[in-house]
Amino acid sequence: MADILEISRLTKRFGGLAAVNDVSFSVPEGGILGLIGPNGAGKTTIFNLITGVYSLTEGDVRFKGKSLNGLPPFKIADMGITRTFQNIRLFKNLTVFENVLTACHLGASYSILDSVLRLPKFRKEEKALVEKAEKLLSIMGLTERRDLVANNLPYGMQRRLEIVRALALDPKLLLLDEPAAGMNPDETEQLMRLIVRIRDEFKLSVLVIEHHMDLIMGICERIVVLNFGIKLAEGCAADIAKDPKVIEAYLGVTEEV
Amino acid sequence: MDWFYIQGILMLAGINLIAVLGLSLLTGFTGLFSFGHAGFMAIGAYLGALMTVSPTTSPAGLGLPFAVGVIAGGAGAGIVSYFIGRITLNLKGDYFCIATLGFGEAIRLILNNVQLFGGSRGWPGVPYKSTLPAIIIVDILAVIFLANLVRSRHGRNMIAVREEELAAQIAGVNVFKYKMIALVVSAVYAGVAGVFFGHYMTFIQPKMFSMTKSTELTIIVIFGGLGSISGSVLGALLLTALPEILRAFEIWRLVFYGAAVILIMISRPKGLMGGMELTPAGIRKARNERKARVLALKESRNGRNGEAGIG
Amino acid sequence: MIQFLQQLINGLSIGSVYALMAVGYSLVYSIMSFSNFAHGGVIMLGAYFGFFALTLLKLPFILAFMLACAGTTLLAILVERIAYKPLRERNAPFLYFIISAMGASILLENIVIATIGPTFRTYPAVIPRTPIQLGALAVGRLDLIMFFISAVCLTGLILFIEKTKMGKAIQAAAYNIKACALMGVNTDRIILIVFGLGGFLAGVAGVFFGMKYTVYPQIGNITTKSFIAAVFGGLGSLPGAVLGSVLLGTLETLVAGYLSSQFRDLIAFVILIGVLVFRPSGIMGKTTVDKA
Repeated sequence: MADILEISRLTKRFGGLAAVNDVSFSVPEGGILGLIGPNGAGKTTIFNLITGVYSLTEGDVRFKGKSLNGLPPFKIADMGITRTFQNIRLFKNLTVFENVLTACHLGASYSILDSVLRLPKFRKEEKALVEKAEKLLSIMGLTERRDLVANNLPYGMQRRLEIVRALALDPKLLLLDEPAAGMNPDETEQLMRLIVRIRDEFKLSVLVIEHHMDLIMGICERIVVLNFGIKLAEGCAADIAKDPKVIEAYLGVTEEV
Repeated sequence: MDWFYIQGILMLAGINLIAVLGLSLLTGFTGLFSFGHAGFMAIGAYLGALMTVSPTTSPAGLGLPFAVGVIAGGAGAGIVSYFIGRITLNLKGDYFCIATLGFGEAIRLILNNVQLFGGSRGWPGVPYKSTLPAIIIVDILAVIFLANLVRSRHGRNMIAVREEELAAQIAGVNVFKYKMIALVVSAVYAGVAGVFFGHYMTFIQPKMFSMTKSTELTIIVIFGGLGSISGSVLGALLLTALPEILRAFEIWRLVFYGAAVILIMISRPKGLMGGMELTPAGIRKARNERKARVLALKESRNGRNGEAGIG
Repeated sequence: MIQFLQQLINGLSIGSVYALMAVGYSLVYSIMSFSNFAHGGVIMLGAYFGFFALTLLKLPFILAFMLACAGTTLLAILVERIAYKPLRERNAPFLYFIISAMGASILLENIVIATIGPTFRTYPAVIPRTPIQLGALAVGRLDLIMFFISAVCLTGLILFIEKTKMGKAIQAAAYNIKACALMGVNTDRIILIVFGLGGFLAGVAGVFFGMKYTVYPQIGNITTKSFIAAVFGGLGSLPGAVLGSVLLGTLETLVAGYLSSQFRDLIAFVILIGVLVFRPSGIMGKTTVDKA
């Protein structure tokens, strides 16, 4: 199975500081890869580099073999990569339905002229977009709340909505940035099942940043550990848990008295 | 209070409305605040006059039909806005505002120095072409165009830019392109409004298109409520008609404007309509939203919070 | 060469007035990250306060000057309390502040038009108009005094910010006001002081402007130029505001002297476009990256 995302020698420097330094790893197609590390390790920076929000200093990011270097975020989204955010960035004043419908826009190609004159092409494609949005909401169990303003959703549902909105773009690779932040163990378990279900039903690959170890250990087939912008270790859950470098990064070293 | 007087108020309100509708797209729906749109009105007014003023009255005039003036004015404003957009749309919020302010003033200053158009003394002799039926027709077309644009994926993308620009980018929206579309459309609207304005007053002068005028337009959009077309319509009518009716208090008009703006900002920034539309669909939507919120509140009180909403 | 130096001197004197305006504006911007468009109105009222203190109250110049500055200090604080504080408390998006500021600016300008009237007023000749001769160069006495007092005020301000405890608090607030509040700093008081300082400088600028030119309600529009000067120098940087203003004033005067006075006002906008296209952060500004 080919790798859907290849990150090679990725480096990002802000002035003199290397937030990400010579990092390489790959996400296998259909796999779930975890990206962990202490705060400030460079995890979200890597997401920003992949999605084109930051420009990389050195190295390359290849998606399905094609380099993403220098592409603007909207083109990268069009190619099939979407993400969620650490601090939820929903369209807060829009309803649940509108959030998802807006994100469906890539599924249509009618022009402004078509919209303004309400031509048949507009009517047909717009109807398809509405149907797609409704279907997504129903698959993910949000139909009951479709008219609720996103800002008024309970926290857990806001997270779910953000994931649904990402799915509206028909991604092949989904980047989740701390999706379990602020959740109790029960909710985290529900989220874990949801992520696996999404991967299976929508046939996509997942790269997830997380601090909740139960989620990482539970669903990630491979894990990459980062600290101070450098890759510390990579492997399956069991190996990572035993790796002394990882333990040191998270827990520190015991001083010999 | 005779019909002639009322007609005048309606016409001025209708002309203002054209510019306000355009600005509503830029500010209300895309979230970009401009303090220079009077500059686009000026471009429209002067280009329009250039086309229609008879060569016998002024050496610069071409004596062409009014329609040509309207098209030239709108298109001219649009083209200028495109170039301004290329320079300014990449800037952060505050900088963009200052830039629009700068361009608005620059246009006025340049026109002050173009003696061919009368310079700061103004250009008289613009033919009277802005009849009430013409203005009403243009207003109706403007509203339909805007409403249809907003209720499409293009409109939704602009709203997404307003709500959360970064998330919009990630959701595949070409933010720069949509900001540019909003800017150009708003400039075309303002240009057309300028043409009608010039052909109503039959006389144009750069100081009619000052920063105060730009700010008035923005104030009307905010007063009516960002993101509401019906709000802009009501706002334009009220805020144009009221001061005219209270003509005796002319010098206090802007004092009240200023005070009203501050008051709106500190008490009800959502404006008159609060983002809602005064149409059957709009009322239905507002009612659905309220129902959903009440339901959600009831559910959380009944302790359905165990289902935190994930699985 | 002499003419060039003469123009330079004229440019510096204008630049120092712009600097007083721009610094007050930049100061507020650095703390609250928004453009206080009402600043112009306060400057304009400073000119009027000084004028009426001299003509109506017949106060001696020094007292009139101080009264005007006291008036603008209070006015600036009043504007902050009424137009901005409620928005701050509600965590309103910064664009609402700009709108409110615009409203305040329109309100101030038109209250003056409606009450006092739009006629131009001239300051009584407190400073003799005969220039001081430095060889072939003529320096206006007023210009000299303006330059001197501006320099004193600006130096005082910079010393205050660099050396005093309150000044350090202001620096910290300029960096991150929320963190400041969390550290137990009384951010409300800092904002009060910052606006007060800005208001004071506006008073000085207003009186000088009125003395050098005339007093009219639209003085506030001149502050558009000082905004541009602040942007030119780098929004949020005080030395930048001074530098930008001096450069702008000098360039304007040179263009007016050598090309045509028609183009003088346009220079400001040419500079604005240049800054926005080539270096939006200005001469001394910092570029910030939006953290995703």
